[in-house]
Amino acid sequence: MHKLTTSRRALLAGIAALPAATLLPRIAHAASGKVRIVMKDLLTSNPEDVAHIERIQAALAERGHDITLEIVDLPSEGYAEKLNLMLLSGDIPDLIYFQGGDEQISSQGVLRDLNPLIAETEYLADALWPHNEARMANYPYLMYVYPPRTKAPVMRADLLAATGMDAPTDLDGWDVMLRAIPGTALDGTPVTHGIITPNNTAEMDAVFDPAFGVTSTWMKNDAGEWISSRVSDAEREKLRWYASLYADGTLDPEFITSNWEVKEDKFYTGQVGVVMGTAGPVVGIYEAKMAQVNPGAELMLLTPPAGIQAIDVSKESRGFAIPVTTENTDAVMAFLDFIASPEGQFFDRLGFEGTHYTRDGDTLTATDRFGEWYPRFIITDPSVYTPPLSALSPLAQASLDQGVEYFRPDNSFVFPPELAASVDAAESFYRTAVFRFVSGETSVEDDWDAFVDGWMAEGGAEMTDYARTVLG
Amino acid sequence: MTTPSSASTKIGNVPKSRAAGYPIIESRGDRFRDGVRKWWPYYLMLAPGLIYFMVFHYLPVWEAKLAFEDLRIIGPNIWVGLKHFAQLFTSPAFAQVLWNTLIISAMKIAFVFPLPILLALLINEVRNPRFRRSVQSVIYLPHFLSWVVIAGIFIAALSSSDGAVNDLRDAFGLERRSYMTDAGAIRWVLVWSEAWRSAGWDSLLYFAAIMAIDPALYEAAEMDGATRWQKMRHITLPGIVPTIATLFILNVGLFLHAGFDQVFNLTNDAIRDRIDIIDTYVYRLGIGGGQFSLATAAGLFKGVIGMILMIGAHTLSKRLTGKGVW
Repeated sequence: MHKLTTSRRALLAGIAALPAATLLPRIAHAASGKVRIVMKDLLTSNPEDVAHIERIQAALAERGHDITLEIVDLPSEGYAEKLNLMLLSGDIPDLIYFQGGDEQISSQGVLRDLNPLIAETEYLADALWPHNEARMANYPYLMYVYPPRTKAPVMRADLLAATGMDAPTDLDGWDVMLRAIPGTALDGTPVTHGIITPNNTAEMDAVFDPAFGVTSTWMKNDAGEWISSRVSDAEREKLRWYASLYADGTLDPEFITSNWEVKEDKFYTGQVGVVMGTAGPVVGIYEAKMAQVNPGAELMLLTPPAGIQAIDVSKESRGFAIPVTTENTDAVMAFLDFIASPEGQFFDRLGFEGTHYTRDGDTLTATDRFGEWYPRFIITDPSVYTPPLSALSPLAQASLDQGVEYFRPDNSFVFPPELAASVDAAESFYRTAVFRFVSGETSVEDDWDAFVDGWMAEGGAEMTDYARTVLG
Repeated sequence: MTTPSSASTKIGNVPKSRAAGYPIIESRGDRFRDGVRKWWPYYLMLAPGLIYFMVFHYLPVWEAKLAFEDLRIIGPNIWVGLKHFAQLFTSPAFAQVLWNTLIISAMKIAFVFPLPILLALLINEVRNPRFRRSVQSVIYLPHFLSWVVIAGIFIAALSSSDGAVNDLRDAFGLERRSYMTDAGAIRWVLVWSEAWRSAGWDSLLYFAAIMAIDPALYEAAEMDGATRWQKMRHITLPGIVPTIATLFILNVGLFLHAGFDQVFNLTNDAIRDRIDIIDTYVYRLGIGGGQFSLATAAGLFKGVIGMILMIGAHTLSKRLTGKGVW
């Protein structure tokens, strides 16, 4: 059991808000009715999920809402496809968690515009993060109140020390450090590669795009016309650098056949020096596993050379939606507003007293099982609520803060369904071409124009034409 | 037909009471009812199979009309004719995807289909029963591995840095080669991984067919002084031709099923343009993107082509060998 003592101020923000919560008027009117919730990994076979839902229902009742919450079971495996099939069969719950596939549903007018509903809430309206607000302005059918899922670069602190360098702060520093890692001994064994990016270059792009001037998905060329960053000169410069890293073995030459499990394995076993992890819990997992495999090893967060990739705010890629068929919209919103309230956040982010934490006066102490609990529905913007106990280590929290610090909205947008085939073809073409450039199979110097022509022919031209109508 | 004089005698399965007084013309319905009454335990055992085929293979045929409709969650679907077929056929990647499917399927039929036959013939020649059973057990095992596992095995074995195959090339002084990212090699990886997984298991059918050949034929051949090669060529091989013909026709019917699980697990960005097949393409666009009508159109296209190919192969086989699937 590890002990985390919190200040009285934090407690006031969290626990002390509980009794007050029942006294203050929360929403304008009491809501009632049944709310059927379908969500990935929220299952009646999990006693903690059931108990969590029951205590939320009880808390809502204390506020005068006569709401019955019901979990709709859906297998986690292939959730997005099974959800789509369930909806298409006519079984439409009141609160739906999408993990992709929502555009086809929303294009039929089945999902409700959430913005006016959220505007009427007491807590939820303030709980949104800046990227949430930008996304909901573009696509108002999905709501996912969570920190941005940015990528954060991490490495072992003792490896950096072994290279004899300081942590890099610009691209030149990164270049020198990455090339110095292969051959540097760690625990007596030389590290093989400087960096790995699983399956494609997306994780490296997330960290290095701005350093080469790839500042957004759509950029203006010299003639002032919108073009995709995929075919920009900045992209070409970036690929030239990747190719040089690949050529000398700094970039793991097997990155294309390495999935995330292989990436992590190579990281923990000292075959690769730097990896990018999803900010927050994932970085925390890397930290814990690294210490488990290499006792005493500590991870450090690296600073991207020029900020991180612009965040896609065209829409939420996952999140909650309310269908127009529900007769209990008020009840659904009362439920969501409660989760965003201090008491709801306390429930949703700390788990159960006695199981995930213990209380001794003003002090909350995390139990060994605290790490097993995860927020089911919402993590509010920290300016609204900060929990008295955090499941995140300082490193994991710092990675989240990095994402927030560097947040910049992208100008990408949602393509209409009739362009789906063009988008797929152009993206597949780009991904294959990128590997061929990086691996040296084709030359960034000689084959770039052919790549641009090919990308245009594979659907890029239709995408660009549409982009110019959207971006003006 | 029976006469009143024979009413007291049970003819076939006709009950005596029904045979009394008048000539009995047994209808098809009567015969069916009598059959069910007599053989009901067998019909009971047949029922799950029938229900399975009815629910998962026959009812969906009607639902294939979705290929001609825009699916609506609320309200009736909208009839759009050939819109989804047009979308499929005019998409920029479809020609390449169709070509990949045809090439990979043809390679599998040419190189993978004969392997189980060869394996069954060889196993049949093994005289030590214990050794034969051991070999059979070992070659059946890969069939029970999922493609996720097999992909992991092949990616590791073919790794350019520390894979067993490249270590072997190294030992022979050959240059290391990245098979998994080599556009010229990746289709062969599909073919040989398919062969490794299925050749052993598929040989079971041929081995069973060999076992069914009348032993008297072998005895007669031995008396005539036939060698093992001659017995294999003139007795064993002709004896399993109907099985070969049937399985070949069924394989041709599934020609456009180039192996979704296999490609899905073995693909990567470096060679996607070489092995992206109809199934993986439709999975990305249709299922992943929620475009179920598009996915249904692709499924219907595959089904129609498969049926045409199967009927063609059946007709050809009938002409050439006298054997077909019906």
